[in-house]
Amino acid sequence: MAYHGGPMTEAMYYVLLALMHPNHGYQLMQAIEEVSNGRVKMGPGTLYGVLSRMQKDGLISLAKDDGRRKTYIITPEGEQALRMEYRRLKAMIEDGRILEDGERNE
Amino acid sequence: MNKTVLKLRPASYWRIGEHESWFSDMAANGLYIKRMGLYLAKFVKGEPQQMRYRIDVTPKKKMMQEQIDMYADCGWDYVTSYNQFHVFSSLVERNAPEIHTDPAEQAYTLKELDKKLKANAAMTVIALILIIGMLLAIWFLDRTPVLMAVEGSAIQQTIIAMLFIYLAYQSFQAAISIRALRNKLSEGKPVDHHAPWKKHFRRNNAVTVLFLIYTLLSLAFFATQFIKKETKTLPSVSGDLPIVRLADIERDPAFVRGASEHMSDGVDWSNRYTYHWSLFAPVQYETDENGVIPGKPAADGSGDYSPELSTKVFQLTFPLMADELLSDLVKWYNYDNDEESFIEMNHPELDRLIVHETKEYKEVFASKGKAVMYVRYCGNASFDLIIGKMAEKMELISK
Repeated sequence: MAYHGGPMTEAMYYVLLALMHPNHGYQLMQAIEEVSNGRVKMGPGTLYGVLSRMQKDGLISLAKDDGRRKTYIITPEGEQALRMEYRRLKAMIEDGRILEDGERNE
Repeated sequence: MNKTVLKLRPASYWRIGEHESWFSDMAANGLYIKRMGLYLAKFVKGEPQQMRYRIDVTPKKKMMQEQIDMYADCGWDYVTSYNQFHVFSSLVERNAPEIHTDPAEQAYTLKELDKKLKANAAMTVIALILIIGMLLAIWFLDRTPVLMAVEGSAIQQTIIAMLFIYLAYQSFQAAISIRALRNKLSEGKPVDHHAPWKKHFRRNNAVTVLFLIYTLLSLAFFATQFIKKETKTLPSVSGDLPIVRLADIERDPAFVRGASEHMSDGVDWSNRYTYHWSLFAPVQYETDENGVIPGKPAADGSGDYSPELSTKVFQLTFPLMADELLSDLVKWYNYDNDEESFIEMNHPELDRLIVHETKEYKEVFASKGKAVMYVRYCGNASFDLIIGKMAEKMELISK
């Protein structure tokens, strides 16, 4: 399914985030774990699926292909989509503040 | 040392979780999956170990090397593939990360397969409708189903159709199951890697074995029908065969065999007999014969008198079918749809007797016990003479 804006899956979000620096398969999984502070451990099947789909959608591109290793990087469209998603999530967090106010009142 | 073991697969190929848990349980017993066939799985014997197995689906039949390498980096070894399904294994103690950590993402891997199976199922429905339509036409278009059954060709078509119905049912099940799995994954529910495979085991094996037996039996049936069919030139005398002969009817010493108008593979098709076998009539003969009496003028003055004879004779498996077969033969040869010109008669030596006369020929339909005979004669001899000869020959095979 092509990406036309709107909420991203968690997997997409973190792969784009990790691809702000060019990276390849196995290292990418570790980068995702790092960038999510160990919260997201992505399996190779999920990662491969997300990569091939986002490459088709033009959100990421191949930076280097030396046969065995394919290095990916985020494209300008991908970065734009990521930043939009970031703003959306941030707005959601800000909207959620009332929960913290509520907790303090109790 | 590397002994291999073959086993029937316990569940249909689209049941991913069942296959994963089956492979694991087999490895715990020292049997490692090596290859998957349509019905059989090949295992290699080894030391029992706790193994995890995962089956991954790809959009195309072949999995990219890049993907296999990526899984290998994470501790998953490629084992084998069947269609778009790819099997990976990992020792439990290796503690490899799960291949799919996001069910919704995994749902995307089934998209192409889902589409393909849906298209298959749709094609199967269309083909099924065509086949059933054709089958109904074969059986009922001429309104002679018993004749079709006895002659056997309709039975072949039906057997093939039955196999096809089973395959269609399977393609339906595949489409429905993969769609259901895809929906389940989309909702965030992961594949059950420990799905109980024993539940399906017996039923699936029973169905597979029945299917194979059925296929083999039908092949044997076709082969018998095919091998036993034989056409030969009629000998001048055929005393022990239950066939009425032209010479017996003409009873003229001057009678000689007619011209061979149609020769093929050394058989004179103008003077031939064909033997058939079928389930409901293991003995069947069909004959065509023609002759000349030189010097005797034809009734219409067009040269020598040259009578012709065509016959069909059946020895049925079940004498109960004789009545219906006789009625169907009458329908089959009633070209003008003129039922009244077919006259039912009584004969002391026959169960049923129907005669029909036109300007060109005489037809007789008769049954006695297991024997049913049809004769079409073009010549001067009387009905009584023909019927007498028929009764004599039918006596040979009526029991």
